Amino acid sequence: MGKVTGFLEIEREDRSLEPAADRVRHYREFVKPLPEGEVKDQAARCMDCGIPYCHQGCPVNNQIPDWNDLVYHTDWQEAARNLHSTNNFPEVTGRVCPAPCEAACTLNIHDDAVAIKSIECAIADKSFEEGWVEPQPPEHETGKKVAVIGSGPSGMACAQQLRRVGHEVHLYEKNAQPGGLLRYGIPDFKMEKHIIERRHQQMEAEGVVFHLNTHIGKDVEAKKLLSDYDAIVLAGGSESPRDLPIEGRELDGVHFAMDFLTQQNRRVSSEDLGDVEPILADGKHVVVIGGGDTGSDCIGTSFRQGAVSVTQLEIMPMPPMQEDKMLTWPHWPLKFRTSSSQAEGADRDFSVSTKRFIGEDGKVTTLECQRLDEEMKPIEGSEFQLKADLVLLAMGFVHPVKQGMLEALGLELDGRGNVKANTNDYQTSTDKIFAAGDMRRGQSLVVWAIREGRQAAHAVDKFLMGTTDLPR
Amino acid sequence: MKLVSEIGVGTVAAGVAKAKADHVTIAGFEGGTGASPLTSIKHAGSPWEIGLAETQQTLVLNGLRSRIAVQVDGGLRTGRDVLVGALLGADEFGFATAPLIAVGCIMMRKCHLNTCPVGIATQDPVLRKLFSGAPEHVINYFFFMAEEVREYMAALGFTKLEELIGRSEILDKSEAIDHWKARGLDFSRIFHKPQVGPEVSLSNTERQDHELEEVLDRKFIELSKDALENRKPVKLDLPIKNIDRTAGAMLSGEVATRYGHKGLSEDTIWITLRGSAGQSFGAWLAHGVTLDLIGEGNDYVGKGLSGGRIIVRPPEEAKIVPEESIIVGNTVLYGAITGECYFHGVAGERFGVRNSGALAVVEGTGDHGCEYMTGGVVVVLGGTGRNFAAGMSGGVAYVLDEAGDFEQRCNMAMVDLEPIPAEEQFNAQDQHQINDMESHGLVDLTDMTKDDEKRLRQLIQNHLHYTGSKRARQILENWGEYLPKFIKVMPVEYRRALEEMAEAQAAEDTGLAELEVGMPDAK
Ligand SMILES: Cc1cc2nc3c(=O)[nH]c(=O)nc-3n(C[C@H](O)[C@H](O)[C@H](O)COP(=O)(O)OP(=O)(O)OC[C@H]3O[C@@H](n4cnc5c(N)ncnc54)[C@H](O)[C@@H]3O)c2cc1C
Ligand code: SF4
Repeated sequence: MGKVTGFLEIEREDRSLEPAADRVRHYREFVKPLPEGEVKDQAARCMDCGIPYCHQGCPVNNQIPDWNDLVYHTDWQEAARNLHSTNNFPEVTGRVCPAPCEAACTLNIHDDAVAIKSIECAIADKSFEEGWVEPQPPEHETGKKVAVIGSGPSGMACAQQLRRVGHEVHLYEKNAQPGGLLRYGIPDFKMEKHIIERRHQQMEAEGVVFHLNTHIGKDVEAKKLLSDYDAIVLAGGSESPRDLPIEGRELDGVHFAMDFLTQQNRRVSSEDLGDVEPILADGKHVVVIGGGDTGSDCIGTSFRQGAVSVTQLEIMPMPPMQEDKMLTWPHWPLKFRTSSSQAEGADRDFSVSTKRFIGEDGKVTTLECQRLDEEMKPIEGSEFQLKADLVLLAMGFVHPVKQGMLEALGLELDGRGNVKANTNDYQTSTDKIFAAGDMRRGQSLVVWAIREGRQAAHAVDKFLMGTTDLPR
Repeated sequence: MKLVSEIGVGTVAAGVAKAKADHVTIAGFEGGTGASPLTSIKHAGSPWEIGLAETQQTLVLNGLRSRIAVQVDGGLRTGRDVLVGALLGADEFGFATAPLIAVGCIMMRKCHLNTCPVGIATQDPVLRKLFSGAPEHVINYFFFMAEEVREYMAALGFTKLEELIGRSEILDKSEAIDHWKARGLDFSRIFHKPQVGPEVSLSNTERQDHELEEVLDRKFIELSKDALENRKPVKLDLPIKNIDRTAGAMLSGEVATRYGHKGLSEDTIWITLRGSAGQSFGAWLAHGVTLDLIGEGNDYVGKGLSGGRIIVRPPEEAKIVPEESIIVGNTVLYGAITGECYFHGVAGERFGVRNSGALAVVEGTGDHGCEYMTGGVVVVLGGTGRNFAAGMSGGVAYVLDEAGDFEQRCNMAMVDLEPIPAEEQFNAQDQHQINDMESHGLVDLTDMTKDDEKRLRQLIQNHLHYTGSKRARQILENWGEYLPKFIKVMPVEYRRALEEMAEAQAAEDTGLAELEVGMPDAK
C-alpha cells in the first residue's frame, strides 16, 4: 500500500499547464508531465482504502490502489500490466477523462484527492516509451467473424478485446481515420492524434481489419452484415446534435460545434476537409451556446484561430463553487469548474436563454438573450443583446443518427432514442446485433465508452462461444 | 458474557445464566473492527440467527430465560434485523459499525494504523480535527431504525417489543424457505418454539439478587478500617473459596475513593488468604494492598491491576512440583496498569494480555503469552506456549529458554529477541545483594533498553523473597549459568519510541515522565 502516512506528509501536486498566452499559439498538448519522482510521491499518498471508492468511481474499475502501490515501489512494468488489464487505452483517459475516480477518492473528502489521472497517464506513457505496449495477437483463431461499426473508444476497445480472444474482427468507420470523437471531436491540444495512431497500429498488428471510409447504411448495406458476420456490434456514437430552432437559425455563421471542431482537427492532421465551407473564428466575436466539454473545446479552438472574444452561455444556473461533500461524496459533484479552455479568457454567463439570432445580409451579427430565474422561467425585461459573428451550438447530442444504418436494421430504440440494449448482454432487439458506447447509453464519456466496449466484447464472446474469459 | 454464535452456544449460555450473569451476548459471524483482516470480519463463525435461536430455546426449556437478558450483535444494520432478532429471542441489540458510519466512518479499515482519514480511529491531532460527526447523527440513525421497527411491529399487530420476543412462530419464513437455494434444507429447528406453559417467560423479566452484601470484600473492608481511615498497617489472615470472586476489588475501590490512584503506602494492607480463589482474584488491586494467596488462583487474576501486589503460591505441605503445576488460570493480568505479581507456579493462556505497566514473575505460561502487551515487564522462569508476544507493542519480557526453542514459539511479527548482556559494573556494585536472598528491592524501570541484567535479577530476587520459590533460588545461586539462557523479548516499535524519547529528552531536557508510552509510574 503506498506509504502508510504518505497522505499526511505529501501535498497533492498535479501536472502543470503551459501559460495560456503561450499555449493558444499552437495546437499541441500543453499539459506538462510530472517528473518520475514526483509521480512516485503522488502515488505514495494513496491510502489503499479498505473500501476503495475509486474502484467504483472509475467506470472501467481501474485497480487504482494496486498500481499506485506499484508505482510507489517503482515497479512500473507491473503497474502498466495491471492498468492495461482493466483499461485498453489508459493514455487516452489519462489525458481526457474528467476523473470521477478522483471525486470518489477518500482524500477528496478534504479536497486533496490522489492525482490518479496523472499517475495513470504517467504509467501509460511510460509503457509506450519502454516498449511494453506490444501487439497481443490471439493464440488461436475461433473461426467466428464479428463486425464492429464505429471506431470511437467503444468500438476500438470492443474490437481489440474480441480480436485478442481469436475472433476475426472487422472494424468499420465512415471517416478517413479511426478514433471517433477522439479523432474528430476532441482537439489536438487536449490529445494529439498520434496517440490514436499508435493504438491503430497495435490493433492492426493484432489482426483487426480496419475498413475506413466505409459508411454502413451508405457504402455497405446494413442488412448485408447480418449474413456476413456471426455477430455485429454497433458503436456508432450519439451523433445527432441538439438544435436551437429559433428565429434566425438559418443565418450564416450559426453552426453546430462538431462541424467547427471536426474541420480544425482535420486541418491539424492535414486531412482533406472535403467539400465544405470553412468555419473559422479569426477576427470574430464568438458565442458558444452550451457549457459542457464540447463548448470548452470550441472556446480553445476559437482562441487558437484568433477570435477577438469568446462568450459562453449556459442555460442552467451557475453551480456552487464548492460542493457539500456530505451530500455528494463519493459521487461526481455538480460544482463550478473552469476548464483549461475557459481559463484561456472566455466570458461565461449562466441562466441565459437565447431568444433569436439577428443578422445582416444573411449573416449573424447579434444574439438576443434573456435571463432566467431559479425556476428557469424567463425574467421579464431582462433581455439583452450580444455581438456575435460566429455562433457555435454546443448543447449536447440527443441520440444516435437514425437515418441509414439504424433504420435499415429496424432496431428498437429506448425512450431517449438510443439503441435499446441492457448492460448485461448488450443485445439489441435483433439477435446477433449488440450495441455499446454512446450509441447505446447516449452521449457520455470516453471512459464509459471503453467500459461498454469491453463489456460488450465479453457479451459477444459469450454469445459466440458459450463461455468467455474476457473480463467485464 | 459474549459468546460466539456456534453450535452448542445454548448450553454455554445456560451455564452462564446459572452462574448468574445478567447478560449474554450472542455474536454472529459478520462484522468487527476494521483493524482485523477481511477474513475475520466476514463469515468467521455462524450467523447470529442460528446461535440466538439455540440460546433462546435452551434457556426457555430450562426455565432460565427470565433471569438473563439475551443480546445479539454481528452486523446488525436495520430495523428489520432488530425485529428478526427479537422474534428469535433477543432482548437487546448491539450496533457498532452502522452508528460509526453515521458519524462519518467510511470503512477505510485503517483503525490499527493511526491514519483514519475521517478522524475516528486515530490519535493524530491533525486527523482528529477532520472528524465531522455529531451525536445527532447517531441519534438520527437510531431514530430511523426505531421507526422502522415500529412500522414492522404495527404491521404485525404489536405495540410493545417485549411482547414479540421469542415469538418465532410469527416470522414469515416461507419466502426464505421456498428460495431455490434453500431447497433440501431443514430450518425447523432454528424456528422451533419450545412448548412451555404460560408461567415460563420468553424474555428477561426478573432482576437477579447477586447477594453483594455477602461478598468477601465486605469483610476485608470492615477489618481494614484502621488502614482505610488512619493509614495504619493492617494484617489479615482469612480463608477463601472459589465462590469468592474479584477478591480485593471492592476494597481497592474504598482505597481509591479515599486516596485516589496513589493509594496507600506499600503493604499497608496485607491480606494472607488460604484456599482456592474465585475468578478475577485481585482485580484492580490498589496501591498499598498486598494479597498473598496460599493456594491457587482462577482465571483473570490481577485483571486491571492498579498498583497492588499479588502473590500466589502453593501451600508448603502441597506435594506438587510448583514449577510444573498450574497455579493461576487464563488471561491473568488482563489490562493491568501497574503493580506487581509473583506466581510460584505456571499460568494458563494469554498471560499478561494487554498489560500496560505491571511487573510479573511466573514460572511458565500457556499459549499467547504477553499478547497485545503495551508496557510493563514479564519474567517467565520456564517454558511458554506458542504464539508468545503476538501483537506485543510495548514492555519487555524475559524468558528463561532452557530448551533453546523459544524462538519457534514466539510470534516474531512485532518483536526482536536478544540475549541479556552481562553487566560487569552491576556485578561488582551489587555483589553484596547476591548473598542476601531475603532482600527485595525496587525494580529500575528508567531505561528499558538497558540495565536488563539488573532489572531481571531484582525481579527474581523479589520472587524468591515473596514466594520462597526454589526455582528462583536455584537461578540466583547459579546466575552465571542461567543468565545466558534468558532471552529478552523487545517490541521493535517500543524500542524505536524509547529511543526517540531519549533523544527528545537529551535535546529538551524534559522529564521522561511527561512522555507517556505506557510506562508504569516511576517508583
Ligand atoms: C467535442 C467533444 C469533446 C469531448 N470531450 C470529452 C472529454 O474531454 N472527455 C471525455 O471523457 N469525453 C469527452 N467527450 C465525449 C466522448 O468523446 C464520447 O462519449 C465518446 O467518444 C463516445 O465513444 P463512442 O465510441 O461510443 O462513440 P464515438 O466516439 O462517437 O464514435 C462513433 C464512431 O462511429 C462512427 N460511425 C457512426 N455511424 C457509423 C456508420 N453507420 N458506419 C460507419 N461508422 C459509423 C463515427 O464516425 C465515429 O467514428 C467529448 C465529446 C465531444 C463531442
Ligand atoms: S479512467 Fe478516468 S476514472 Fe478511471 S482511473 Fe483513469 S482518470 Fe480515473
